[in-house]
Amino acid sequence: MNAVTDAAPEDMNLLSDHDFRLVVRRFIEANYPAEIRNPPKRLHWSENKPWYMTLSRQGWLAPGWPREHGGMALSPLKQIIMIEEMERYGAARTNDMGIVMIGPLLLKYGTPEQKATFLPAIIAGEHVWCQGYSEPNAGSDLASLRTEAVLEGDTYVVNGQKTWTTLGSDANWIFLLVRTDKAVKKQEGISFLLVPMDSPGITVRPIVNLDLHDEFCEVFFDNVRVPASNLVGEPNKGWTMAKALLGFERIHLGSPKQSAHALQRLAQLAERMGVSEEPQFQDRFTRLRMDLEDLKALYETYVERLRRGEGLPPSVSMLKVIQSELYQKITDALLDVAAENAGLLEPMEGNRDLHPSGIFIAARPSTIYGGSNEIQRNIIAKNVLDLPG
Amino acid sequence: MSQQLAEDDRAESIRMIRDSAAAIAPPGGDLKRVRALRFKTPGFDPAVWAEMGALGWTGLRVPEELGGSGLGMGEFCALAEALGAGLAPEPLVPCMLSAMLLSAAATHPTTLIGSGEAGEALAAMLTGEAMVLTAWQERANTLEAPGTPGAARLFLPMAGGATHFLVPVREAAGLALYIQPAAGADLTLEATQDGGSFGTLRPAGGVKILDQCAAVLEQALGEAALGTAATLLGVMDRAFAITLDYLKTRTQFGRPIGAFQSLQHRAADLAMEVALTRASVEAAAASLDAAAPNRGAAIARAKARASDSAMLVTRQAIQLHGGIGYTDEHDIGLYLRRAMVLASLFGGAALHRRAFMTLAPESGDE
Repeated sequence: MNAVTDAAPEDMNLLSDHDFRLVVRRFIEANYPAEIRNPPKRLHWSENKPWYMTLSRQGWLAPGWPREHGGMALSPLKQIIMIEEMERYGAARTNDMGIVMIGPLLLKYGTPEQKATFLPAIIAGEHVWCQGYSEPNAGSDLASLRTEAVLEGDTYVVNGQKTWTTLGSDANWIFLLVRTDKAVKKQEGISFLLVPMDSPGITVRPIVNLDLHDEFCEVFFDNVRVPASNLVGEPNKGWTMAKALLGFERIHLGSPKQSAHALQRLAQLAERMGVSEEPQFQDRFTRLRMDLEDLKALYETYVERLRRGEGLPPSVSMLKVIQSELYQKITDALLDVAAENAGLLEPMEGNRDLHPSGIFIAARPSTIYGGSNEIQRNIIAKNVLDLPG
Repeated sequence: MSQQLAEDDRAESIRMIRDSAAAIAPPGGDLKRVRALRFKTPGFDPAVWAEMGALGWTGLRVPEELGGSGLGMGEFCALAEALGAGLAPEPLVPCMLSAMLLSAAATHPTTLIGSGEAGEALAAMLTGEAMVLTAWQERANTLEAPGTPGAARLFLPMAGGATHFLVPVREAAGLALYIQPAAGADLTLEATQDGGSFGTLRPAGGVKILDQCAAVLEQALGEAALGTAATLLGVMDRAFAITLDYLKTRTQFGRPIGAFQSLQHRAADLAMEVALTRASVEAAAASLDAAAPNRGAAIARAKARASDSAMLVTRQAIQLHGGIGYTDEHDIGLYLRRAMVLASLFGGAALHRRAFMTLAPESGDE
């Protein structure tokens, strides 16, 4: 089941945070494939599979899972350290939906049979998962989703359409939020269903983004038949289960590394354009640096909560908003400094570090995904500030 | 583990400071006292100043062997924040600066003259009998003290209540520090928007208490800038809390105005400014207490953030209150007025951004 390794994971929690960081750092430096370092776009499975399998062999694929299922059972803080070290080195995100989304869901709500079927296949890289949540008419208002699953005997028949399915064309399994009861309040008629992507009646159509990359897909369901045993948890409890998965995502979206990376690119570009010593640039650059340092200080306060074993409060939404908006402010500066080069499709002079238009476009979705910043502000207003309505 | 214990002790002592601050600046307390002292000389209450001495606040940063509490900037910032929230007019931050200079003078191994005077003035300030201000500033928008002999010293907060002035003076051997009594001093006062005053001093005479004070003065000015940032944090935090309360209770169009999304999002933006300021101030205090190499840059960041954010939050607080916010009768305006004075005291945002540029080497840590 689990990949056999000569370096079976000892309990990494026994290491001090500092030693753990160094162990992780050395492993990444020794094993990460150089050709996919700091990729400008989200990589496809064909490109990131070797790294996924390296992590699998090392036993490091699933930092948060319990050890009996092939995970590392790492403390939340050590999980953060691992993410930080990956980001620091410029390691690409893998096709990790199985690890970060469906795995934890099955661990919490799955039957013993579901755990035995799905968890080892994720660790072995046999099942590659994608997420079927959003629909054309259910984005920020996700609970109004309409893709329907009707029970016929012991089979669900699924009809409808999902969209913004990240790396959907790479996946051989999809986890779906489906409507199983239309008569009740919209949140209370949603179920969670696991579907093989090779089922008859599924069509996948890639969506080309602003960055001309096919990271997202549309997925169509036309009388797709799914065994009822692929339902997770109780029928009509899918909404609650899906929401329970969101906590850890927000601190990840608030990590200052994205902005830090863009700011380095800005310094490089200013140097290349010969404006680094101009007072106007220096003033703008200094403001951005100070904003970044303050973001880091705020981020640290949430990491400190994890260090103390406390949960993350709803105010962690602030981190996501501040980070993504700073990231975009930095990419605005990149375009201004680049002048005419801002219009170039490809990196300047063939240097991947000098691609202002690329980072600018890559920064666009950061204020949209993971709950748009408008939704995050609603959350801050209602759940942090306790405003009415 | 012991580090954890030390952190817990630290958190506990900061909690105690906050609790004791509530005695003078009660959370949610009315501002009658503050209003009664406005636009009068000295602009603060000498009895409260004495109480602050008795509570150990004036000597919070003063070493224990000199009669102080020897606590860190973490504690001082917690106190300054609480006093800022209560709009206490007593000039604790400028006097903390003086206390640092007096402590240096009273203990300096090579001080030939004046350590007696320094020690006496310090002791009198710790009991609240004295109020010692440092007359270092010769022009607007600076944190440098050139010590020009005879030059007027500007922007002395609440100077009408001072008992002594400390005056840095440039001499052949460096920057010397003199102490002169306030009685008989050539001092003029100008009222400030928050009901206090700025004094202009033409220094004369005095007794030399320290020979080379440039380094200790620079450090104390940094700490005063951070203390002012913490005060501004308290000002904006309380102004925001009052505004939030108003958004929940003021009804228009049949519902609380805080139910309107445009105002909810604005409130969320202000909450983020307050959160960033708090993180920045606390990080700077921690780096000072740890004597971290980057502490100067951290202070500059905290004061720049606090100055800009306090102005934004208190300006928006007026706007979100609507017409009632423009009346002098409503307390919310008092927070804007205090922010207007403190935003530029010990350096405004632009000055501190320039300082950050000089102090923080571009990161090679990636």
